[in-house]
Amino acid sequence: MPATYVLALGNVLMSDDGLGPAVLRAFEQHYVVGPDVLVEDLGTPGLDLSPWLADAERVILIDTVKAPLPPGSIRLYAKADLIGRAPGVRVSPHDPGVKETLLALEFAGRAPRQIALIGVVPAVTTMGLDLSPAVQAAIPAAVEAVVSALELAGVRVGRRPQPLAPAPWWHAGGAGTAPRAGAAGNPARP
Amino acid sequence: MSTHITVDPVTRIEGHLRIDVEVDGGVVTKAWSSGQMFRGIERILQGRDPREAWLFTQRFCGVCTTVHAIASVRAVENALKLEIPKNAQYIRNLIVIAHALHDHIVHFYQLSALDWVDVISALTADPVKTSALAASLSDWPGNSTSQFQAVKDRLAGFVAKGQLGIFTNGYWGHPAMKLAPEVNLLAVSHYLQALDYQRKANQVVAILGGKTPNIQNLAVGGVANAINLDNDATLNMTKLYMVRDLLDEMKGFIEQVYFVDVCAVAGMYPDWLKVGAGVTNYLSVPDLPLDGKGATFEFPGGTIFNGDLSHVTPITAFGDPYFQKNVSESIARSWYDGDWQRHPYEEDTVPKYSEYDAEGKYSWIKAPRFDGHVMQVGPLAQVLVGFAQGHEPTKRWAVKTLATAGKVAGATLTPAVLHSTLGRHAARMIRCCVLSELAGKHWSLLAENIGKGDTTIFNEPVFPNGEQQGFGFHEAPRGTLSHWIVIEDGRIKNYQAVVPSTWNAGPRDAKNQPGPYEASLVGNPVADAERPLEVIRTIHSFDPCIACAIHTLDVDGHVMSRARVL
Repeated sequence: MPATYVLALGNVLMSDDGLGPAVLRAFEQHYVVGPDVLVEDLGTPGLDLSPWLADAERVILIDTVKAPLPPGSIRLYAKADLIGRAPGVRVSPHDPGVKETLLALEFAGRAPRQIALIGVVPAVTTMGLDLSPAVQAAIPAAVEAVVSALELAGVRVGRRPQPLAPAPWWHAGGAGTAPRAGAAGNPARP
Repeated sequence: MSTHITVDPVTRIEGHLRIDVEVDGGVVTKAWSSGQMFRGIERILQGRDPREAWLFTQRFCGVCTTVHAIASVRAVENALKLEIPKNAQYIRNLIVIAHALHDHIVHFYQLSALDWVDVISALTADPVKTSALAASLSDWPGNSTSQFQAVKDRLAGFVAKGQLGIFTNGYWGHPAMKLAPEVNLLAVSHYLQALDYQRKANQVVAILGGKTPNIQNLAVGGVANAINLDNDATLNMTKLYMVRDLLDEMKGFIEQVYFVDVCAVAGMYPDWLKVGAGVTNYLSVPDLPLDGKGATFEFPGGTIFNGDLSHVTPITAFGDPYFQKNVSESIARSWYDGDWQRHPYEEDTVPKYSEYDAEGKYSWIKAPRFDGHVMQVGPLAQVLVGFAQGHEPTKRWAVKTLATAGKVAGATLTPAVLHSTLGRHAARMIRCCVLSELAGKHWSLLAENIGKGDTTIFNEPVFPNGEQQGFGFHEAPRGTLSHWIVIEDGRIKNYQAVVPSTWNAGPRDAKNQPGPYEASLVGNPVADAERPLEVIRTIHSFDPCIACAIHTLDVDGHVMSRARVL
């Protein structure tokens, strides 16, 4: 089992809600990590998040958050913020997943030892494939926040000499890039 | 005098469902089910390559990912009359099975057990008695006195710290809670153990699907799992045996824990085998194809009307005309412009929100109908359609379930009790036991086919000029799912998904016929209007998933914030 998980949450069909997956793509475009780190786009798994978090050493989540700040603002949350009742922290739209999963795992004695959430405040969460300009502009800083969180935890992060090609499949430029037969990746471990 | 209760929201997972009931003399007399969230996802598909539609549809809902992927590739293959290789069919079947096993376990233990289990009552349970009770029901190794003691201690610690956390939404101490403390402790312990089986199911999907929850291995025309028994990077014997071991472990949990727990709950709440039937017209499509074409299936499909199990009209193959002809959707009571009832190929929908009006329009969900009839879909429909057609494993597990629950209840239970709130839970468990058993069969079909030297996985789709129509159905964990596609010159012209929760959670129609949720609530007892646990019980028994039920065109960029759910 990998010691560290970098997990993106959000629905790529719902505009800024797709922030997490977009940050994850940008991270993978510029950085490489070792086999003890699992980087995964989970979509909006709800309670299906629990098998990913159970018994993990450390988890970094990337998601949109509701906070009284302008769109594109980045906020960092620690474990206590997520499972306690800290005022002003409302982790949404995937709250039922993140919060309930963590509480259930706390009860089971299997919550991740360390958890950090990198949250970005969205502008628009209606149907659509594109991020709003403010949220799009926040991606580089959010990627750096992922790198910092990993480095702080003592995880080695390498910068790619040449970034990988950008467009995720769900963006306009991605049409025609759907995986074809024979293109499946190696299995990930939940 | 009647009391009006609004329960808002009901689902604990994605989406936002509002239920309104009128209660008179402690009994529900009228009910309304309303989808409160508007999305417009299908429009994203228009103009795209049909080969990549499944990548988008599996993002409709974060919980029902693979089912929308499977239905989508089947729809395109149906439009092209494209057969797929046997290996591809069996690999898809194993993914379908693993996803369903996972979904059913999560539904019972994580999403609905708290409707029946009083967590606080478990604090007074005797672990020795709990272990003895467990031993009388099954020989599962995870039922020792020390394990129950540990769970009880942990629970006591949580309660002492005022940290009820995950259980905050539970209705403990409610007069409708009837289980003995030992049964409650047993259920809480199994709730904790279920987590590991959730993970095992995910591993199966990840090995075969490339990733989970969003699989990567599908293709219109087959799958992308290269098969080479001597290559570490492809599907090989090592990976196949990993899959089999995981499925075997899940089978143990399902048969020795999930089966027993559902039988115990059903037997200890016999009153709930008498209420909640509602609509007794059932629809289920065939699934787990046994050939590349989808002409023969493991599970039979069909329709049943008025609960009459002696008459089933079968649905037999992909492209079945009886199914194709009879599906329509009504917007008479939904927030769209117009009041028509149309076939999915012909739907042309314009959102038009107005006030919530119980006598007029009151939901974003449309009302699907089958030949004009309201139909219930889901595991109960699956089990009854299978049972009525003599599907052997379905019949065997149903009989075993009725006998075991009947023993707990001290009564003789007949299949008629399945038309009920707890009948839906029992049916979901029966379906899960059957699927788990069939996992081994479909694994063997795949392994034997590869053993014969067949490593074909993909038939190239060819898109002719002009227009083609097609539909793909899938009997998903929550019931009949169908995707309808119109292709023009190799591009998507129109796309509609008619999803299980739309069939069940939809509103009334032009003839004022209530949907299955609405009908099932009428006659439900409600002991305490402030805490309408009984309403929640019946709604949860359908396993609502509203995120994918609300699905229409976003024409004018209407802005709605996403709903927060419990």
